Order: sequence, then structure tokens, then C-alpha cells
Amino acid sequence: MDLIKQAAFELQNESISAWKQNDHPVVGYTCSQVPLELFYAGGILPVRLRGVGIHGLDIADAYYGPFICSFPKAILQSMAEKKLKHLDGAVIADGCDSMRRMDECWRRASKDYPHMALPFFHYMNIPRKISDHSRDWFVDEIKQLQTALNAHFKVSITLEQIQKAIQLYNESRKLIEKIEDLRKFNPPKITGSDAFCVSLAAESMAPETFQKQAAAVYEQFSSNPAEIADGPRILISGSAYDDIHLIQTIEASGANVVGENVCFGPSHRANLVSEKHPPLEALMEHYLLTCPCPRMFGRFDYRIALLKENIRNVKANGVVLQNIRFCDLHASENGLLERELEKEGIPCIRLEREYGSQTDTGRLRMRMDAFLERISQ
Amino acid sequence: MRPEIQEYPFDWMLHKSMHIAFDSLKGSKKEYQYMLNYMPYFKGLMDLLGKYDEPGILFVELVKDAVDEIMFAHDQGKKICMTTFCFSPIVLLAMDVVPVVMEPLTVLPTILWKRGTYDFMNFCIEAGLSETSCSSQRGALGAYLAGLCEPVDFIIFDSGGVCDTNANVFAFSASYLNKPIFQLDYPASFLDERTREYQRKDFRELIAFLESQTGKKLDQDRLRKGLEETHKQDLLLSQIDEYQMLKPNPLPPIFNLFMYAGRFLATSTPGYTRLLESMCRTVKNNADQGKSGLQSGKEKCRALFCYIDHYSSDARMWNFLDDTGISHLGSILSRFFPDHAPYLQNEDINSGYHIQLNTLDDMIDSLTEINARSPMVKSIRGPYDTPYMWLEDALAFARLYQADCIIYSGTPGCRNTWGMVKPFARDTEKHGFPTHIMYSDAFDERVESFETTALRLAEFFRVRQLI
Repeated sequence: MDLIKQAAFELQNESISAWKQNDHPVVGYTCSQVPLELFYAGGILPVRLRGVGIHGLDIADAYYGPFICSFPKAILQSMAEKKLKHLDGAVIADGCDSMRRMDECWRRASKDYPHMALPFFHYMNIPRKISDHSRDWFVDEIKQLQTALNAHFKVSITLEQIQKAIQLYNESRKLIEKIEDLRKFNPPKITGSDAFCVSLAAESMAPETFQKQAAAVYEQFSSNPAEIADGPRILISGSAYDDIHLIQTIEASGANVVGENVCFGPSHRANLVSEKHPPLEALMEHYLLTCPCPRMFGRFDYRIALLKENIRNVKANGVVLQNIRFCDLHASENGLLERELEKEGIPCIRLEREYGSQTDTGRLRMRMDAFLERISQ
Repeated sequence: MRPEIQEYPFDWMLHKSMHIAFDSLKGSKKEYQYMLNYMPYFKGLMDLLGKYDEPGILFVELVKDAVDEIMFAHDQGKKICMTTFCFSPIVLLAMDVVPVVMEPLTVLPTILWKRGTYDFMNFCIEAGLSETSCSSQRGALGAYLAGLCEPVDFIIFDSGGVCDTNANVFAFSASYLNKPIFQLDYPASFLDERTREYQRKDFRELIAFLESQTGKKLDQDRLRKGLEETHKQDLLLSQIDEYQMLKPNPLPPIFNLFMYAGRFLATSTPGYTRLLESMCRTVKNNADQGKSGLQSGKEKCRALFCYIDHYSSDARMWNFLDDTGISHLGSILSRFFPDHAPYLQNEDINSGYHIQLNTLDDMIDSLTEINARSPMVKSIRGPYDTPYMWLEDALAFARLYQADCIIYSGTPGCRNTWGMVKPFARDTEKHGFPTHIMYSDAFDERVESFETTALRLAEFFRVRQLI
């Protein structure tokens, strides 16, 4: 579990160092809609960009305006603070307005802080709707990324290699799903924070290393479950979220976090990428069509159905609908979700927070205590 | 929402306000002066409109007619479509659909009513929309969510890929009100063939959606007529744009509002053509006399508003500019990029649309191209410093219109521009244009009072020795 936790809590980890020792490149990506199989097919390790462990946003604030989500700011700050030195490149996807503007802020900051300049920097343009032409567009974007990776890293990514990478990452997804199943017991066999560490680690480690570690975690907790008391079962939904401390805060209040419906994790576990369809089509189907983010406009019905299914699967007693301040996509969607779920008798609490900061712990704890009191009655 | 607010339908109040304003302006000077005693909260606005006689009256008439259309659409068997300012409603009008454009419907009560649209903005939060979302829609939207308007039949927006907070508001409304929805989605790229093909396919899907919602086929003749009228209006806008380059600028600051609000509410209608013709006459008259459009006649400084304007109650921003001697050189809202626009003579931004009328396909392509150049859709869809985007446009405009400075006015809800306005402003400064970032909310004075906004602006003009 140590390596898994290291990967979940720190931006740099042993798996990345080992990968780099063999002179293999590492590329960071911003959004769960970026098809990581493509990188791996070219011998490049994709890692999800995160901003944990920073203590301020002073540099990021010099480029971003004040009314911007703290997640991309934290990534920019991490880069400025030299915490992402392992990166050989970055792919900025236009996941949302705050995130896509990282493209300009990062490029501008690189002029003031030359160490931030990466030799490979690519902008990925992902449609916000599903239609025949948006499917074609997404496939084209994958091809453009493929061409860019080939040219810069002097590799030649083939369809066969992509197919193999799909199979490999599907194995990771299956393992995560097995570990997630341990949370369905009452009480769960693994704490929410440990289980979520596994999901996070999957996006920050080489898949082979991850699978070895995740398999060990599964063995450990399936045969020797964690000692967890009965408590209300909570599912967390909403904004991009990779902060174990929120789960720890909720669990410290006596609840068990039994599932997450956030974009860290689902790209690995929600659905497998088809191994039967042509690889680029399969990636498009997975990353575009099953995207659970409200950036895909007009897909609320799909997302609420997905959430309800998750709630049923993990037998949640209540849902935490959280959003990072200025994440309007999730904050507004949370308003709709709360209305619909409460109508069906599923208790919800909406929490607005800052990314990665523990300054909110007291307030969040107090609100969670009140919520747990409500759902325990 | 307070119960007394719920007693009065929003559109009905706006309809009454506009009729009273119109009747007052049409009255004799003596009647008008007498009426001003009864309108303490929007005396400044009325005076501002009254100053310009015919254009002011025609603008009020245009708005009055647009609100009337909404009020009585269903009585006339027409469908109502909720949409956004950056979507060109030509296609809606050609299909006999009445557009309800959220942003102008937020602006009007904001500058007209004592309490602005605060109660309706607040209701959006009650309904579940995030408090940090863009205020430009929330003013009118709150009334629609609260059921205080003639209900809309469906929703169309074109800000997917352009502005998340805008698109999100419409997606939210569709779910909240349970209405059919269609979005035009825009890639970050602009003129390449792949992007244009994407836009073409998207627009054809929009027409299929409209046909399914209205049960009618797109009427070619009406569309041709609408596009012809739009072309006429574009030529008039180009004339005004050209006059605006003169020093002193003969365009009164408030005319910028007339230009774009008319376009958003009544594009391709004869009422908008009449308004533009009248504005042209006023501007030409000023230009012939070498006069500035400012009331004082003296232009002290030329300011390019690189994003949107500021809509304080009683339209105080316009009066502030007038009183301070600041000439308004237009904003992202007042330029639409027809291929004959004078600002497209500059090679850097030559990317205009051409209206073609030969076949239905041509006309649909024209609509696609017009829409792809709508405010915001054109210039902030991609990274701000790439070709054809915001920086290039702003710098080209600033040079062509001989701007002394650049002003950014927006809303805290604008995630897109706040994501890069700081580096943007640094770039414009580097190119020699003093740039002021306004931290106020263009639609909600509770964020920053207009007095503070005006003080900060005045300080900027003074410190940078612009006046």
C-alpha cells in the first residue's frame, strides 16, 4: 500500500522515477477525456496533472484571474515550484474554460520561469456534444495527438500497440473495480480513503507497477478486511477531486465513504475500452461517449442515471455533491442533482470547497456532522 | 423570491416600461420634461436616449416591439426560443420563431429598474444555479425559471466550446424547465476547412432540430429576405464603423449599445435597419462638422472596450464617458465581421463572412459563417494569442481606431476571459496600449458599486495621463 499511497499523495513517486531511469518520457495530461492508452502505446508514461501539496497560489495568481477554479491554478503553481520536474511534456485539453486557459497561462509563465517550458506541449480540442461529426472530430484529435507524439518523441505508434495498451489499461480498470467491490460490503472491507488512493495511483503510475501493487492491496483487504465500524454510507460526486483529506474528514465524522462519482478514477474503471472495435474508434467511444463530466452539455439525463446506478450499487445513504469554487459546471449540476435525488428520498449535501486545501477542514467537518446527523435519524 | 415580486410577470413589466418610455419620448418636449419627474430612477437613461431624438426613439421602439413579440408570440401561434446574444437569430425569424435573448433582457431592466434584476438573479441561485455563474443571463433567466414570463418552447445556444458559463446556464435551464435543447459546438480553431466543415454539419443539425420543434420546413424565401436585410444592415454598420475611426470619433458612446442590442434583439428586421439609417445620419452629420459624438463635443481620450460594456443602473457608464470626454471605440459586441467591414481591410484580421443567396445550401452556409463570427464565438473560442483570436483582434482594432487605451469590462462569471485576461493585458500594454481591468460586474452593481467603478476608471485615466 505504501507505493500506492505515495502515488496518491505526492506528485513525484517511485514508479515515475523508475520509468524515467530507463530514459522513457513522461507526459502530463489535464483531463479524464485524454486517451492515455495512446501515450503508453508509444512508450510514454501518461500521468494526470494534479496540484496536491502546494502551500499557496502566488505564482499562478499572477497569470490566472481571481475568479478561477483553484485546481488548474494549483497545477500551474506546482509546475512553477518545480514539483513536476519529471514531465517531458504536457497535453492541455479544453475540459473546461479554467482548465483550457492553462494553455496560455503556462506558456506565458514559461517565459518568466524558464524551467516551466516543456519541450512537448499540445492542445487537445474535445467536442462538448455527441454527434456523428463530433465523433469524427474526436478521432481526428486522437490522430493529431498521435502524429505529434510520433514526431516529438521519435516513436511510431501503431494500431497494434494501441490495442495492447487498451488491453493493459483495461486490466487496471478491472483491478480497480475488484477493489471497489470491497466497498460494497457492510461495513466495507476497505476504507474510502485507501480505496480512493488506488484510483488516484492508477493515473500516476506505470500500469504494470500499479497492477502489481493494486493486486496486493486487493489480496490484503479481501482476506484481512480493515476494521471499520458501521456508519452511514456516503458517495462523493462533483468536481475534479483528488484530495484524500476530504474523505478522511468525512470518515473521521463516523461515516464510510463507499464510492466516488468524480473524474479521477472513472476513466479507469467506469467502463472498459472495447477490445473488439478498431482501437481509435474504441478510444473515442470510451473517452467521448461515456464522459461523466457536465462539460458535455445536454447529457444530464445520462449523468443522473449513472449517478443513481452508482448510488444503488454502493448502497449509499447519502450523497456529498461537492464542487470547487468557480466550477460552475458541477456547482449548477449539483443543484439539479440535489433536486432530483432529494425528490427520490436520497439525502444530499452540497459542499463548495477549494482544491486541495485543508484550510476548509473545520467548516467541512461541521457541515458533514450536521448532514450525518440528518441522515442517521 | 419575495412574494410581491412574483405578483408581476417580468415580461409584462418590461413591456409596460418600454411602452411608457416610448410614449414619453414621443411626446412634446414639455410633456417629456414633465414625465421626467415621475421617473427618478431612470431619468439619466431617458435623458440619454432623449438627447439623440430619432435614434433614441427608434431604439426604444425596437426594444418595445421585441418585447411585444415575446409577450404575444403564443397568441399568434409562434414558438418561443430561449437563446443567447452570441447566437444570430436570423434563422429563428425565418422560421417564425420568436427569440428570447437572455443577455439583452438582463441588461434592459438592469439599467431601467431601481432594483435592477437582483431578485431574479437571486432566484437562479434558489433554483440551484451556481452563484458564481455569469450574471449576464441570470437577470432575465431568474424570471423564466420562476415562471414569471411567457414560457419558452425550446432552447438553443451556441456557446459550447466558447464559454462554459454561458452554455451551462442554458443546459441547466433545459433540465430545470424540461425543455428540448440544441447546442452549436465550436472548436477552438477558426478558419481551417476541418473546423468549417464541423460548423456546417452542426448548423444543419440545428435546422433539423428547428424543423422538428416547429413542424415547419425552413422557408427559403423568408430566409433570403432576412439575409438580404442583414446584408443591408451590415453595410450600414460598416459605415458607422468607418466613421468611428475618425478623430474625433463622431459616434455618441450610447450608439454602441444601439448597434449591438439592436442586432441581438431584432437582426434582419426593418426596425433595426431604420435605427441604423438614423444613426448613420446623426454620425455623418457630426463627422461633416468635425464634431465628436460626445455631448461636450470634445474628445479627450479614445477608449477601446476589448470585451463588453458596463450596464449600471440608469446607464451611468454611458453618461460617465460622455461627461469625462471619453470616446467609446466599440467592444467585442459591436463588431460582427462581414467581409466588407472597414476593420477587415487590415490583413491581420481579414476573416469576414460573405452572405450568399443563390441556393438554400449557400444561405445555410452564410448563416453558419455569420454565427461563427458572433461576439465571443469568434474571438475567445481558442487560445487568446493565436491567429484570429482575441489579442490579434483587440490590437488591430486599437491601432485602426487610434485607441489611447484599452478597457476590459466583464463579469466575475466569465471564467473564459478571467482565465487569461492578465497575460492578455500585459501583452496589450507591451504593444503600447495602457490597459485597465475592471473588477466590477457589468450586470450586477452589488459586486462593486458604480461609484467605485467610476472612481477606479477615473484614477486609471488620470494616472496614465490619458485625460
